Order: sequence, then C-alpha cells, then structure tokens
Amino acid sequence: MNDLTPDRDDRTANLKGIGSARRRVEDARFTQGKGNYVDDIKLPGMLFGDFVRSPYAHARVVSVDTSAAMALDGVVAVLTAKDLEPLGLHWMPTLAGDKQMVLADGKVLFQGQEVAYVVARDRYVAADAVELVEVEYEELPVITDPFEALNSDTVLREDLQPGADGAHGPRRHANHIFLWEEGDKTATEEVIGSADVVVEEMIYYHRTHPCPLETCGCVASMDKVNGKLTVYGTFQAPHVVRTVASLLSGIDEHNIRVVSPDIGGGFGNKVGVYPGYVCSIVASIVTGLPVKWVEDRMENLMATAFARDYWMKGRISATKEGKITALEAHVTADHGAFDACADPTKFPAGFFHICTGSYDIPVAYVGVDGVYTNKAPGGVAYRCSFRVTEAAYFIERMIEILAIELGMDAAELRRINFIRADQFPYHSALGWEYDSGDYQTAWDKALKAVDYDGLRTEQAARVEAFRRGETRRLIGIGLTHFTEIVGAGPVKNCDILGMGMFDSCEIRIHPTGSAIARLGTISQGQGHATTFAQILASEIGIPADKITVEEGDTDTAPYGLGTYGSRSTPVAGAATALAGRKIRAKAQMIAAYLLEVHDDDVEFDIDRFVVKGAPERFKTMADIAYAAYNQAIPGVEPGLEAVSYYDPPNMTYPFGAYICVMEIDVDTGEAEIRQFYALDDCGTRINPMVIEGQVHGGLTEALAIAMGQEIAYDDMGNVKTGTLMDFFIPTTWETPHYTTDHTETPSPHHPIGAKGVGESPNVGGVPAFSNAVHDALRPFGLRQSHMPHDHWRIWKAAHDLGLHG
Amino acid sequence: MDLADEINIQAPKDRVYAALNDPDILRQSIPGCEELVKHSDTEMEARVLLKIGPVKARFTGTVTLDTSGAPDAFSLKGQGNGGTAGHAKGGADVTLTEQDGVTILRYEAHADIGGKLAQLGSRLVQSTAKKLASKFFANFQEAVAPAEV
Repeated sequence: MNDLTPDRDDRTANLKGIGSARRRVEDARFTQGKGNYVDDIKLPGMLFGDFVRSPYAHARVVSVDTSAAMALDGVVAVLTAKDLEPLGLHWMPTLAGDKQMVLADGKVLFQGQEVAYVVARDRYVAADAVELVEVEYEELPVITDPFEALNSDTVLREDLQPGADGAHGPRRHANHIFLWEEGDKTATEEVIGSADVVVEEMIYYHRTHPCPLETCGCVASMDKVNGKLTVYGTFQAPHVVRTVASLLSGIDEHNIRVVSPDIGGGFGNKVGVYPGYVCSIVASIVTGLPVKWVEDRMENLMATAFARDYWMKGRISATKEGKITALEAHVTADHGAFDACADPTKFPAGFFHICTGSYDIPVAYVGVDGVYTNKAPGGVAYRCSFRVTEAAYFIERMIEILAIELGMDAAELRRINFIRADQFPYHSALGWEYDSGDYQTAWDKALKAVDYDGLRTEQAARVEAFRRGETRRLIGIGLTHFTEIVGAGPVKNCDILGMGMFDSCEIRIHPTGSAIARLGTISQGQGHATTFAQILASEIGIPADKITVEEGDTDTAPYGLGTYGSRSTPVAGAATALAGRKIRAKAQMIAAYLLEVHDDDVEFDIDRFVVKGAPERFKTMADIAYAAYNQAIPGVEPGLEAVSYYDPPNMTYPFGAYICVMEIDVDTGEAEIRQFYALDDCGTRINPMVIEGQVHGGLTEALAIAMGQEIAYDDMGNVKTGTLMDFFIPTTWETPHYTTDHTETPSPHHPIGAKGVGESPNVGGVPAFSNAVHDALRPFGLRQSHMPHDHWRIWKAAHDLGLHG
Repeated sequence: MDLADEINIQAPKDRVYAALNDPDILRQSIPGCEELVKHSDTEMEARVLLKIGPVKARFTGTVTLDTSGAPDAFSLKGQGNGGTAGHAKGGADVTLTEQDGVTILRYEAHADIGGKLAQLGSRLVQSTAKKLASKFFANFQEAVAPAEV
C-alpha cells in the first residue's frame, strides 16, 4: 500500500452506489434525440391503423358504411365490431373486472369512443379513410354528472343484467358500479354525532389526465411462419400485457413477445389495455403484416385513461382542544362509461382508505360509490399510488377547514394530531400498517425553513393593508403533511386480475467483472438504468458504470408487474438488492476458496472480500467473477448469476411536508407562487439528484392539476379540453422555483430501507397549492372552492366573497 | 351557443319573405353552400362546406320551417352533420317588420354543437357564426335588392 492506493472512501465513491448523485446514464441518448420510442419502430411492410371515433357521447350506432373507405387506394381493411365478434374480441375485459367495447357494438357511450379501425398502407391514407367511413347515429340522452346518473332512468350500460352483481358486489342502480366500504361506520357516526366540533364539506378532485409527452401506441407484428406475435408498445406493465394478450387471443404465452422500448412518460396513462392494441394485433394477424397505431394528442386526452374525478363528502370531528376524534368519507367516483380503473383487484377504490393521512384518528369510515357516466373510461393513478392523491387532498383540505372551525392555526392542528414517532408500526383505523415515520421532526424542520411564524405575521399585515385599500394582493400559505402508501404490494392482498403484484430482478455477472441486470419493471423516465445499477453496486461491489440495466422485453426480462404506483424501488428495487445478496453469497464462497480460508473467515468490504483481520489479503469482485467462470472450484458450479422474485411483506409509507407561499391578485385572479418548500422522506435515498428531479417534475404536474389542468365536459358530453390550447401544461413561464429538502426514515422491512419517491410530489403538491389559494382568501370567509384554481375561478371566489366592492 | 341580431334589408317585407323561401337566393346567400334542395314549402336540405378554425368539413343538413305566422314571423329548426368533424342542431325565431319600404329582420338563434367542431372550434364558434351570419345577410341583401349600378 502507498499514498496512491485508493482508500475506502475512494473505493466507495468509485462504485457510485447508494447515495451517489450519479448522472443519469439514459440522458446521453435522450438529450441527443437518440431515444428509441414506439413511433421510431419501422418494420418492413408496416401498415398503419387509425380510428373512426364517435362524435357523440351517447348514441345508438344505426349503421356503419365502410364501402367508400375501402374503395380508397391504399386501404387494406376497415374493422368494425361485426368483424371482431366472431373472434370474441369486440369486447375486452378491463383491469377492474368490467368489460369494455373494443369497437362500438350497437351504441357509443362517450365522445371519442372507438367505432371502426382503418388499416392502410400509409398513415395519411388511413386518416383520409377515417373521414370516408359513414356512421349513422341516433342520439340518446347524455349523462355527465355521476349524481344525476344514480337518479336517472337512462341506462348507460344496456349490456349489463339489471340487478345483477358487478365485479365488486351488488349494484343498486343501472348506472351504479359498486359500493366499497372500509372502517367502522356505526362507531364513526356515533363519535361524530356526539363530538364537540364537526365540520362537513364536499371536496371535489376534478377529472384530469396524465397527458404524457409521448401518447399511447403500439406496433403489432405477427410472424405467420414461426407463429410468433411481437408487440412493441408504450406499456407500463409489459408482462401483464403479454399474459392478457395470451388469454384474450388464445396464442400460447411463449409465442408472444411484448417489448416496451423507451417510453416518453407514463404517469398511469400507459397501464391499461386499450382498443388500439387489440385492433392492431388482430389486424396484424389477419394481414400477416406489422401494424402500427399511435394515437394523436386529442385522442390521448379524449379516450385513453383519465385520472381522479372523485366527489368526496367528508365529516371530521374533534374535541374543543383540536384532537381529532373521527373521520368519515362518502365518495361518488365517476368512472366513465366502462370501469377500467387500474387498481389492485381487491381495491376498487384503490388505497383511498389511506385518507386518515398523517394523523392518529381513532375511528374512521369510508364508502365509495363507483358510477357510470358518458365520459371516457379510466381512473388511473396519475403519478400517484392508487387513489392516494385523492385521499391526501381530501384529508389535507378537511384539516384546513377544521382549523378554521376551531379557530386554530392549521400547522398547530396538524402537530397535535400527528402519529407520533413512537407509535410506528402504526395501525390505522382503516386497516393499514404504517411501516415507519417521524412526522414531527419533518414538520418542525419545514416550518423553521420557511420561517412560518414570520410568514403568518406578514400575511396578517397584508390583510390589514388590503382592508385599508393599500393593496389588491393577498398572501396564502399552503400547508401539507402527506403520507403516501406505495409499493403494491403484498401478493396476499394485491393482485391485478389474479396476477400477484410481486416483482423481480435477474443478474448475470460477466467474467471480467461487469454485469447485466434485468427487471420486471419498465422505466418511463424515472431513470431505472441509473438507480438500480446503484443499488447493485452497493450490494455486489461492482461499479454502477459497469452494470447494464435492461427492462421491458418479456423474452429476456423476468416476470414482473411493471412500473406504476411508485412500486419499482419498493418492490423491484428490493428484488435487485436480494438478487445481489445471492450473488454476494456465492462470491463469498469463491473468495474463500481463492484465499484458502474458510467461508466464515472472509467478509465483504465495499468492492471485495477480505480475510477477517487481514484486509491486505483480498479478492476483488472482478477477481471473483473471473474465477467463477474460469476456475474449477470444488463443490461450486461455474458462473455467477442470480434471480430474485420479491413479494414485499408490507407496503412502504413515504411522507413529506410541503409549504407553498402564494400571492393572489384579487382583481385578476392571477396567482404567483413566491416560494415552494418540499421536504420529502422517502427512506433511504438512492440518488439525491434523481430524487430532486422526480420532485421537480411531480411538483410541476401538481401545479398543473391544482392551478388549471382539467378534462372538462359540456352538457352534451363534448370534451372541452381536448387540445393543449385548453389543457394546461405548465411551461418554464408558469413553473416556480422549488426548494427541496429531506429527512431520512428508512423502511424497516425493505432490504435497503427505500420507500419510493416518484409520486410523492404530486400527492403532496396538489393540496399544498390548493391550500395556499384557500388560505389567501380564508380571512374573508372562504372555506372550500373547487380546483382547478385557474384565474377565473380564483377571481370568482374573490368575487363571491364580495372583494370586488 | 346563442346568437341574436337585427338587420335592415332594403326591400319590402313580402319580397324579403319570398326570397327567404327561394332556394336559388338562399344558395347564393349561404356562405359555402354547394347544394340546396327544397322538398316542400316547409322542408329543405342543404350541403355546405364550412371552415371553423382548424376544422374544415362538408356538412349536410335539413331545415324544417314553421310558417304559421308568415310573413310577419316564422321559425325554423335544423340539424347538420359533418361526419368526423362534428354535428350541430338548433333553431331560430325570425320576425319581419316593414318600415318605409325597409324590412327589419330580427332573429334569435340557438344551436348545440358537438364532436370535433365543439372541441377544437369552441372558442371560435361564436365569432365564426357571427361572421357567417353577416356574410349571409350581405349576400342576401345583394340578391334581394341589388345595388344600383
């Protein structure tokens, strides 16, 4: 050893393992425009598909005349429900246990519904042919309001047997899908009935849309010679797609290969199975040629998977001192025309019952009614775990309203109701076991960082100045302390259509000491190739730069349930660590043999095994890898590979404290975000830079949702926000500066203590922005004003409070 | 969408009313009208090429007239379909009053639009409808009472 021998710190840094702000390896191709997305895939002889979509929200389809379209030069086929019916594919099962029309079968139920599928030799010819398909409709009454739907004689789903149970139990009305309940209803009502203080409020979380930069699409290619179907697609769960495709088509699963190439953002939009996939596969099987389908922006916003649309009626009770005694929520969930929510099968309202949030609430009840309307199907988890952002928004609004009723500071009300650090693992009234947390520490740190008391003083002074007529701008301080539940999940209660929600990692170490790891998940921008290599680097002592991470090809990757609901790190990340530990266990035996000592006499040290007490005697992982392949070691089979399938014992519970300081102009309704402080506790931090990027992105989506983004319908069921002219996507102009911070409370059950962070900023951000708007107008009597808080709605709220004189 | 206006037409009431029922004059007056067939005194069918914002499409539609108050008043109901571009239905109440040889035409119209037209064109529909209406009446004036040359 000499001065140039790397010390332990150097060796650790060289690995770029857990905790390193390693640059994203994906960005070399993404920033140079060299990504390979579905639309970049071009196969010889490829045909193009395009949909004829319904302009009506509810109508009978009297006739579909395809003759003029078929006569157009270059058109190969026009599929209608009649063509799919003999194959049994004119309807398909949804992830929620319902069924959905692939192509309109007798009627249409939402604007933009797929009516016919044109296949042509050229993308432009396909678009022209769509215009030539003549469809005769007979209009039916349109229902876009879920409350009206439950009181209407108009039956939307005539295919369902009246009075028969749905996938989630009894249906009490033709337009009712399910009632899902959790908690103790009687006890909750009793406590609320005799409480000192009760507030009741309807909190609406409006319909919005994930709107990823890349829309949904696929290329289906049936090889009639070898009988193998390959489907390239924007799939967040490629293995699930393969299994579903096999079950639907009857093609053996080994003859189906599903590939998710680079994906330009998913945010839940790309979890579901859409008619475009089914029609493209059928068209490829029929023609024997590859068929590409990529939806345009309007189709994406209009027809594939919306998010939210929850009407949450809440009651919360407390003692005079502000100790919360009970919480109740009745949700009317607008699921659109088909129940195609992507939730674990046993949870038709997702994990909404995390709605007791960060607070120790002794008793609670939740009831969720799913309802059919003439809107697009979906109900996906838009950058959140299943319905968790709805739950967080609900409780964080209820807390604010309770604070008003009590005349208490909302920060203090939160503080006295937090689940204390010594209460973990904490069993919530609605059945969850929170794994770990230290809310008080995070909260104190956040309040101190923004000088909370100073802000309140400034706010009060501004209100006085406003009343004296010296200013027209008010200050709002938006507080949020959220608790998420992510990482679905334990197979015992989390499955999708019977497929258990485990995940997997398979590692192959190469003889020269580099490696490839394949996972059952798929990155859509999260940076898996960067961060999973870091987990492995720390576990097996091979530098992250020498580890390739590959996902998305079902022929090579181990089976997994995919990426959504912040499950990649909690589930596949755990599988990665455990597969790494299997590698390490075998490496230990090899090292002991090479060092001529007993297995127990060597120990792992960063990037090598050393003889205990004699660290100068060691074998690096590169030495061990080479020996694993090239040296005959008695009792040890050659090679160095491992696979791990991980079924988590529990979900993880990331949390955070967000504070938004906003100024609103009472006369124009404009909102300026002056400061945004985001403290996240996601347990062990794998890559601080990637975390910060995730938080920035998630907060910006939260800003969009809270301040303007929505899928709005008019009375006729027209989508009024079907283009980016009307659907708000923030640019750098609207996006404020964010300050990020953290505490670190590891998950006790996760192999490396990580909890997942990708979705926290959306879950916590929306209530922070919304609470800031409410808080600005609170001194003038505002209790609840529904999102999105665009300029008009803020102006209207101020106007209704009489602030315009 | 609601639209209302008052237009002075330099012609007597009877002539204006007759012209409003004359398929040739209507065809000349309706912007983009390619075909207009009168099936009876109260039923007409038309094909019109329309451009609203980014949506350009051929609309076919039928119009039914209620002439019980003619020539002082009449109302009409209609619906049109532009295929993938969208569809519309609506109606209008029209009154005609004569003053010093000039006819004052007042109308109140209401229309519901749907499909791509409503999605893409919603911010433009009102202004485009106004523009089309004024163009119609300019053409109509020209057809009913050509300016002296």
